[in-house]
Amino acid sequence: MASAKKQIQQLARQFFKLSLVDGALSAERVTGVLEYVDKHNPPHAAAVLKAYHRLVATELARSQAVVEHAGFAAAPALDAIAAVLAKKYRRPITWVAKPNPALIAGLRVRVGDDVFESSIGGQLAALASSV
Amino acid sequence: MSSVLEQIEQQIAKLSSKAVKKNTGNIRTVADGVAKIDGLSDVMYNEMVQFPGGVLGIALNLEEDEVGCVILGDVSQLKEGDEVQTTGRLLSVPVGKQLLGRVVDALGNPVDGKGPIAATEYYPVERIAPGIIVRKSVSQPLFTGIMAIDSMIPIGRGQRELIIGDRGTGKTTITIDTIINQAKINKVGLASGDPKFRPVYSIYVAVGQKQSNIVRTIGALEAAGALEYTIIVAAPAADNPANQYIAPFSGAAIGEWFMENGLDALIVYDDLSKHAVAYRQISLILKRPSGREAYPGDVFYLHSRLLERSARLDGKGSLTALPIIETQAGDLSAYIPTNVISITDGQIFLETDLFNQGIRPAVSVGLSVSRVGSAAQIKATKQVGGKLKGELAQFRELAAFAQFGSDLDAKTKAQLERGARIVELFKQPQFNPISIEVQVAILFAMQKGYFDAIDTKKIVAAAGSLKEFFTTRKDALLTEIRTKAALDKDLEARLQAAVDEWKPTFAG
Repeated sequence: MASAKKQIQQLARQFFKLSLVDGALSAERVTGVLEYVDKHNPPHAAAVLKAYHRLVATELARSQAVVEHAGFAAAPALDAIAAVLAKKYRRPITWVAKPNPALIAGLRVRVGDDVFESSIGGQLAALASSV
Repeated sequence: MSSVLEQIEQQIAKLSSKAVKKNTGNIRTVADGVAKIDGLSDVMYNEMVQFPGGVLGIALNLEEDEVGCVILGDVSQLKEGDEVQTTGRLLSVPVGKQLLGRVVDALGNPVDGKGPIAATEYYPVERIAPGIIVRKSVSQPLFTGIMAIDSMIPIGRGQRELIIGDRGTGKTTITIDTIINQAKINKVGLASGDPKFRPVYSIYVAVGQKQSNIVRTIGALEAAGALEYTIIVAAPAADNPANQYIAPFSGAAIGEWFMENGLDALIVYDDLSKHAVAYRQISLILKRPSGREAYPGDVFYLHSRLLERSARLDGKGSLTALPIIETQAGDLSAYIPTNVISITDGQIFLETDLFNQGIRPAVSVGLSVSRVGSAAQIKATKQVGGKLKGELAQFRELAAFAQFGSDLDAKTKAQLERGARIVELFKQPQFNPISIEVQVAILFAMQKGYFDAIDTKKIVAAAGSLKEFFTTRKDALLTEIRTKAALDKDLEARLQAAVDEWKPTFAG
């Protein structure tokens, strides 16, 4: 059981490595991997694809800034945020805007595992947990 | 004035617009107090992580695609997908004298209902033990108040002495007696105003014990007036294994504060067998490879890094450790017992047979040893009890041999008689430690043969009578023994005169 899990992880990681071109995810390569799996049907194909999906999603999240905002967020401002983050992480970063009224005011930007909190809602939550 | 207000407002605006960076992850699975988390790419080993609802955890397994965390709190509210964030801090506990007299949990939170603890300092739970250069050899005694131990297996400040034995052989009692004795010595020493006096503060760490037992221990310490010099760290059997795993390290951190601040402390780990079991449980759930008896490969390191933190530091204080190990059917060669025996500076082995024979404390002289030896003994004890261990060991051997025949020569008979009397003399009721000066007086009387004419069955009563005689009528002499810590000719003569005075008063 444990070794099967290990094999699944290893194969998913191999597929993931094959999907990278110069350190960046390539849509063509991903399609190629999916075609390969479809054609050869490796053991535990569904589990391998699930693990592969997680790795690809994590990688995509690393180059995408999800900007949550309470009010109106202008595109130039979001472009500026993405530019600053691209400089910080030394890789191209795109942005996706997501309205979130629970923030009350301000922004919350998520890039991969990192969250930059600059909202009233977040500060109130931090205050509530520290009291 | 308005410009000042503007300045403050600007500062507030600056602060409130400053983005706070957090590293986050999501719970993939939660089971048996352990969470597997996706993300947390910046997490450090042993870092505290924050779960929803203020629940804390520690990152113990940093794997390629997930992080294994033990949860230190209520897991019932956690679910798959919940966000977890790093704190950037290692697990720390409050330390300082404010904790004295208090009962805290593994994280240093008070659990005695006496209100919050006003601690100003925090120490990390995991710390690297002091190195070679800063250490000093163990040479100052730490009196347990138990005659059999203080005279034959002396413990020094900064030593690690293992207390090992089957269940119900009086292991905890020995440590409680030692804590009570420290409190008694502290009271006398602090009242004397001696600037050289160094009190010993105690930390009792209860791991995996029944709540009722912990309450009983607290009650015993309170009744003896020892709680004010003691800190109790409780991780009872009902606590999750993560808390039971952390508790001894929290206790060590609390003890280190005393050591670092030039004070002496004593720490009792009750017990490390249950600690190893809690660690095994965590390791198995974290899917770490298991070895002998399903313990993980680093179970030796678990205890060595804990016990190495007890030391005597040059120019600072000391931390003495009394770890407890419970054996199964007296098997000293089991995995955890042999590990801890090899780490510590000696062991006190308690035997079930002796306990059942009414010899309490049931210390097995042959199997007990203090590797520090007489370096941690005052000269007076060496003078009156230096040969006791050998005599008692000889007695045990002869007693076993004498069972096969009745024709014994006079010398053997005398040795047996004397041995039987020493055994009786070392019987001591629980929670009743004897001060070192009284021990010296009793052992002096034994050495000079004052107990030889007394019936063996009456030795305990005779020792009690002698103790009472000295404490009520020879206080000045006892004080002199305590301060001089050695018997010169004059002191010996006065001691002999006092015992001569006592002898007719005991109607043996």
